[in-house]
Amino acid sequence: MTTSISSATPSPASTEAHGDRGRAARLALGLLLAAAALAVACLASLAIGNKALSLSEVWLALTQPGESYAHVVVDSRIPRTVLGAVAGTSLAVAGVIIQGITRNPLGDPGLLGVNAGASAAIVTGIAFLGVGSASVWAAIPGAFLAVVVVYVLGSGRRGVTPLRLVLAGAVITAVLTAYVQAVALTHPDAFDNYRFWVVGALAGRGFDVVGEVIPFVVAGLGLAILLVPGMNVLALGDDTARALGASTALIRVGGAASATLLSAAATAACGPIAFVGLAVPHMVRPFTGPDHRWLLPYCAMLGPVLLLAADIIGRIVVRPGELMVGIVTAFLGAPILMLSVRRMKGRA
Amino acid sequence: MPASTAVQPRTPPATGAPPRPAARVLRIGTWVSVPVKPRSVVVGVLIGAGLFVTALLTLTLGDLGVPITRLLIPFGAELGAQEEFVLSRLRGPRLAVTLTAGAGLGIAGALFQTVTRNPLGSPDVIGLAAGASAGAAAFGLMWTGIIPLPAGALVGAVVAMVLVYAGTGQGFSSPARMIIVGIGVNAMALAFVQWIITRTTREQATVIAAYLNGSTASRSWDDARLMGLAMLVLLPCTLALSRRLQIADMGDELADALGAGAVRTKVAAVVVAICSATAAVTVVGPVAFVALMAPQIGRRLTRAPGPNIAVAALTGALILAVADLAVQQGPFGVQLPVGILTAGVGGVYLGYLLMKEWKRISV
Repeated sequence: MTTSISSATPSPASTEAHGDRGRAARLALGLLLAAAALAVACLASLAIGNKALSLSEVWLALTQPGESYAHVVVDSRIPRTVLGAVAGTSLAVAGVIIQGITRNPLGDPGLLGVNAGASAAIVTGIAFLGVGSASVWAAIPGAFLAVVVVYVLGSGRRGVTPLRLVLAGAVITAVLTAYVQAVALTHPDAFDNYRFWVVGALAGRGFDVVGEVIPFVVAGLGLAILLVPGMNVLALGDDTARALGASTALIRVGGAASATLLSAAATAACGPIAFVGLAVPHMVRPFTGPDHRWLLPYCAMLGPVLLLAADIIGRIVVRPGELMVGIVTAFLGAPILMLSVRRMKGRA
Repeated sequence: MPASTAVQPRTPPATGAPPRPAARVLRIGTWVSVPVKPRSVVVGVLIGAGLFVTALLTLTLGDLGVPITRLLIPFGAELGAQEEFVLSRLRGPRLAVTLTAGAGLGIAGALFQTVTRNPLGSPDVIGLAAGASAGAAAFGLMWTGIIPLPAGALVGAVVAMVLVYAGTGQGFSSPARMIIVGIGVNAMALAFVQWIITRTTREQATVIAAYLNGSTASRSWDDARLMGLAMLVLLPCTLALSRRLQIADMGDELADALGAGAVRTKVAAVVVAICSATAAVTVVGPVAFVALMAPQIGRRLTRAPGPNIAVAALTGALILAVADLAVQQGPFGVQLPVGILTAGVGGVYLGYLLMKEWKRISV
């Protein structure tokens, strides 16, 4: 099942109606493995870095109270690990949803300018409205506007095409990045703390950030779960979906709201990070097929794995310095974008 | 420079519209040698006049401006020390760089858009400019002293184009893939630049600030000479290509039958376009969207088919000159890099085109 969502793919519901219980069991097992991978990634994120710890040291530091050096190191890495897990889930699920509602294999909150919208709004808040920090409340209107504008620009006479959407996203990103740059240049003092955030980084953000974004992530995920049946129907094509009694408009609005919440939260937490939302669904889909009931939980588990892995890579490759996670994801994700373009054949 | 561009198209053969096609071919210097419609000539003259006015305003406005009366009196008249300094050090080279780089970007855009047959196939979209900034950043801040900054930008641009060529799996033959792969290359290049910036101090980062957003500030006559030289070499090439390109625009088979060698023409045009864009980007940094806008605006004004290279070049120069005037005299507090302004304005214009006029094209 290497195909992307398209009307040609057989309905997932019908394959299961044929009693493919072995497949369901295999997928459930895979989900367990994905959860295990997430646990490993979290532990690795606590252990690996400038000061490397062994897993047993990490385990001891986590389970027993104390004041040792290992405790200090682990404590300093916990916030960025939790943040990576939350942001990874948000971005990957937002990617699935955008790909689902636009029926477009190139959906990604970073690629389509949603993250840029969120950061432009945050920058506006900090520079002109006196908002003290990168707040989700500031990010949401920006992200939502970007979703709407990209969708309007992306829909041509022959409907929404992947290339149009990506192009519209690139335009939005270019304009908003210019805006962010201009504001940052004219208010250098306000943005000294945000030099790393602008690139997308997990480091240097505390638990208060996690606490602030969690409610939005939960709301976005809840909405996404509600939309799962709808997106499965939408994958059959608009006409079929309507004939089956689904409200395509409602599904799209709900999906846009969910993707907005998730990517606004992720952007407020760690800056605009691209390609996680693109890459994770593409890596997962060959295994799960197009059924969102499996796609969504898999992405929720493996999104953080990818983001944490990128963060760990960023800590290793330029020791003793660090590479911001947004930079690593760009280098991991751009080749995936190229591969998925090749897979699209003539459809672009 | 502005005066000559304004004058060149104003030539006898094109003002009337003689019945015989041969009489309507305009050949002046290196600028134009294509069959020209009267409308195109009028548009060219108007843009040239606009350029002249913009250039005058650039030199005269502001605290350091040279009064227009002193500027227009024949050369040889004495200028004060300050005026001398402004003209020969500050605004003179800046204006020359702006005009030539704008023209270079306009030409690159016109060639790219003709070859890809896609209004969006422009050096900005396919990652050339971002690659140049990555190269400039790498050789300007990280591996300093190996090659000069402009050469670094050139290396970056070439690497980016190689990546796009290899990434599509079909070379430059599929515009759609080229654009998407270009967006990927763009993202990688920008991420690379960001990384270099974060590992340097703010003071160091300002050294290459121009290469990050595109800026015409504090350019020297060396930059102007480099860009002017590039234009001198590339303009005749463009000129030689423009006829064949117009034929190639009719479709590969027909072009081959007419002896225009469609594939050869296109490859040559892409190479010239890349050289032209790279020269401009090397001198002023990745000024966004000028290459994309200039041919579009030019084509809308002239309503003529084909590459419209002369008009695109003039329009590119005008766009960049106006944007540069705006950042110099506009109410922005600090002097913004001109690339930020063109990205903002150009992006909005591009969005408008996507929404209003490109509903029908198959992107």
